[in-house]
Amino acid sequence: MTKKPSYVLEAENITINFGGLTAVNDVSLQVPFESIISIIGPNGAGKTTFFNCISGFYACDNGTVFFQERPINGIPTDEIANLGISRTYQNIRLFTNMSVIENVLIGQQPRLRSTCIDTLFQTFRNRREEKQSIQKACNLLDFVGLGAYADDVANNLPYGAQRRLEIARALGNNPHLLLLDEPCAGMNPHETSAMIELINTLRSQLKITIVLIEHDMKVVMNISDSILVLDHGEKIAQGTPDEIQSNQKVIEAYLGSGTENLVEKYSRRKADKGNLD
Amino acid sequence: MMKTILSKSSKFGIVAGIILIFCEMINLTSTLAEILEKLFTGGTAAKNAITPFYMGLVVGLIVFFTTINFLRTRNSQKKYSFGQGFFAAVTISIVSGLLISLLNIILGSYLVNGKDVRVYLEALAPDVIRAFLFQTDIQKAVTYYFMSTILGSMAALILFWISQKTNQPAKSVRALTHLKEKIQIGRAFERYPAVKTVLILLLIIAFLLLPLVINAYTISVLGIVLIYAIMGLGLNLIVGLSGQLVFGYVAFFALGAYTFGLLTAPKPFGIEMNFWLALLVSLIVAGIGGFLVGLPIMNLRGDYLAIVTLGFAEIVRILINSNLMADYTGGPQGIKNIGQPIQPSIFEKYFGEPLEDNVWFLYLIIFVFLIVLYAAFRLQYSRTGRSWEAMREDETVAQACGVTTSSYKVLAIVIGAAIAGAAGALYASRNTYTGPSEYAFMVSVNALAVVVVGGMGSIPGTLLGAFIIKGLPELLRDLENYRMVVFGALLIVMMIIRPEGIWPVKRRKLSVAPESIEILKEDLKP
Repeated sequence: MTKKPSYVLEAENITINFGGLTAVNDVSLQVPFESIISIIGPNGAGKTTFFNCISGFYACDNGTVFFQERPINGIPTDEIANLGISRTYQNIRLFTNMSVIENVLIGQQPRLRSTCIDTLFQTFRNRREEKQSIQKACNLLDFVGLGAYADDVANNLPYGAQRRLEIARALGNNPHLLLLDEPCAGMNPHETSAMIELINTLRSQLKITIVLIEHDMKVVMNISDSILVLDHGEKIAQGTPDEIQSNQKVIEAYLGSGTENLVEKYSRRKADKGNLD
Repeated sequence: MMKTILSKSSKFGIVAGIILIFCEMINLTSTLAEILEKLFTGGTAAKNAITPFYMGLVVGLIVFFTTINFLRTRNSQKKYSFGQGFFAAVTISIVSGLLISLLNIILGSYLVNGKDVRVYLEALAPDVIRAFLFQTDIQKAVTYYFMSTILGSMAALILFWISQKTNQPAKSVRALTHLKEKIQIGRAFERYPAVKTVLILLLIIAFLLLPLVINAYTISVLGIVLIYAIMGLGLNLIVGLSGQLVFGYVAFFALGAYTFGLLTAPKPFGIEMNFWLALLVSLIVAGIGGFLVGLPIMNLRGDYLAIVTLGFAEIVRILINSNLMADYTGGPQGIKNIGQPIQPSIFEKYFGEPLEDNVWFLYLIIFVFLIVLYAAFRLQYSRTGRSWEAMREDETVAQACGVTTSSYKVLAIVIGAAIAGAAGALYASRNTYTGPSEYAFMVSVNALAVVVVGGMGSIPGTLLGAFIIKGLPELLRDLENYRMVVFGALLIVMMIIRPEGIWPVKRRKLSVAPESIEILKEDLKP
């Protein structure tokens, strides 16, 4: 019996170059089981590039990505999905002309075994698997709150529902690790809090480890166990939400230099607030 | 206001007039009139003895549709008043009447002076002009066609006015579009699934009885339509579902036909294999051809397959035509005396006498067609078909969802090619001959048109497309030389009215009631 690996994902010294530009420079990240890790940073910091590297869209120029202690560098994306890493996209990428439930069925692809020969002869295995996968897709849709939309065309869903559908699709392959690229982008406060709730349920109920990119600090500070801050492709800080909030380098990255006073002011106000409570 | 109506309606009048002149100059008017006369009287009208009434009817109809179109251009809030509509209708009829009269006067003066217009316009024989001009009574002809245009536009005006008065504009059109919702076929099917099964069974039975009652000409047309339907179903898997563009589909068709021909013909090899075995082999050979074409492009994105297959089709066509291969393929002469299957004695037992050869072969085609249809349905509504569709929608995301895009791509091409091979084998056996001239680029274009016109990715659409592309030109045979003109116009109209194809694909309802979250938790254990 092999021992349980200590981390779901370990990225070691990842470097990605695009021509002369170093998009990600020597970034490392450890993701423990059942944690929620956020990656933040200003625009163009290399967050999505880092994500693309983990999910196999880009090959990194240097460094190694271990998924449950198995290196996954240079493996095609379909095999990575097979291993149990799923992702969503910054600009929603659904199969727009297919129905909602079909989208979720595609997500289950790595877990299905019937071949086209089974299909042609309608074997017992094919029937059973089809039935099971449809049932599972409906369960998933119900879980993310889209049960009523199951037979609609994905393109006709409202924006917030499309984001949820992407998550349902990503859950189809029983992922160990779920990568969410800006799940709350463009949402109103109500939708955002619903999404926070969903992400929390994903971890608490389904025991899925989550790494997410997000710009909405309310979301990030609310749900993260740990936050990784990137700027110009470099890791400038990592820590708990509280540590990051008062980190000098992070504030400089977001607001520019000469903000020492702000930091002081912020920590003072925080202390005052604590006194008031 | 009147001024804008005047200028707009005279524009419409000019358009109607130009259409009238064009139709008369290419002699379409008299051909249409001939068909109408045949239709109404049941008699056979000779080309130079058409009753002028039908000529007038054609002219009137053209003006009628133009006027209807003019009256409908206003949006639903702003309607023309009756006076305005009347004014416009009169303008349209006068302008178009003037134009057609001009042509009549010119043609008439040519005729009276004994000059032959055929020097300039090939289609206009003196007889035709004479029929059109009441035997050179130009004055009468001018008045007559003027009356036709006026009657046409007035009829349009009255029809439009009535439809407005009853406050249900274009009721017939709306009724047609909502017909399906009204009788709620879909809901009936949902509630009673047996109804659908029975209906499909009845359709199949009717289809099976069809060859016994139709004549030899219809049998041959139906055979071609079905062979194209088989090809369309195969191409639909590649183009409609997996989204890979194939321009040289004829290559696989030719591979199937030649394999079949070589295996069953007495020359050049003299193998004379059993029909079914040869059909299977040609299917496999075409599939292997598809595999070889698919290999280089399996890891490429974009329209490379279109170019590769285009080249492949040309290579195949040139090879079977060349002297180099003449010993094996018969070169330009092709392969003759290709085998046909022997009719099983079962038919003789039931019908008293064996079926005629063409009827028997049509049954054979129907048999293969039904098998391919079944396979296409199975594949489309399965994991495989869904993966193909996901690949068409977004290849990158499909792969990230776990679809092994490269192998699914090759799978689509292999299955599509194999189906084309079967169609080719049937085609060769049906004609008992196959030659290089049958595998021109046009066949690929037609097969692609079958898929696109019917609706990409839609199986009933593909069948409809096959009927339209190969069957409709045969139905339009009465139009003689103009059938391709009319066919083209019909295709354009279809694509304007239904840009996604005539029968676009509809998503199946799949959802079932969800279970508790505990089951989901268990399910999602990696």
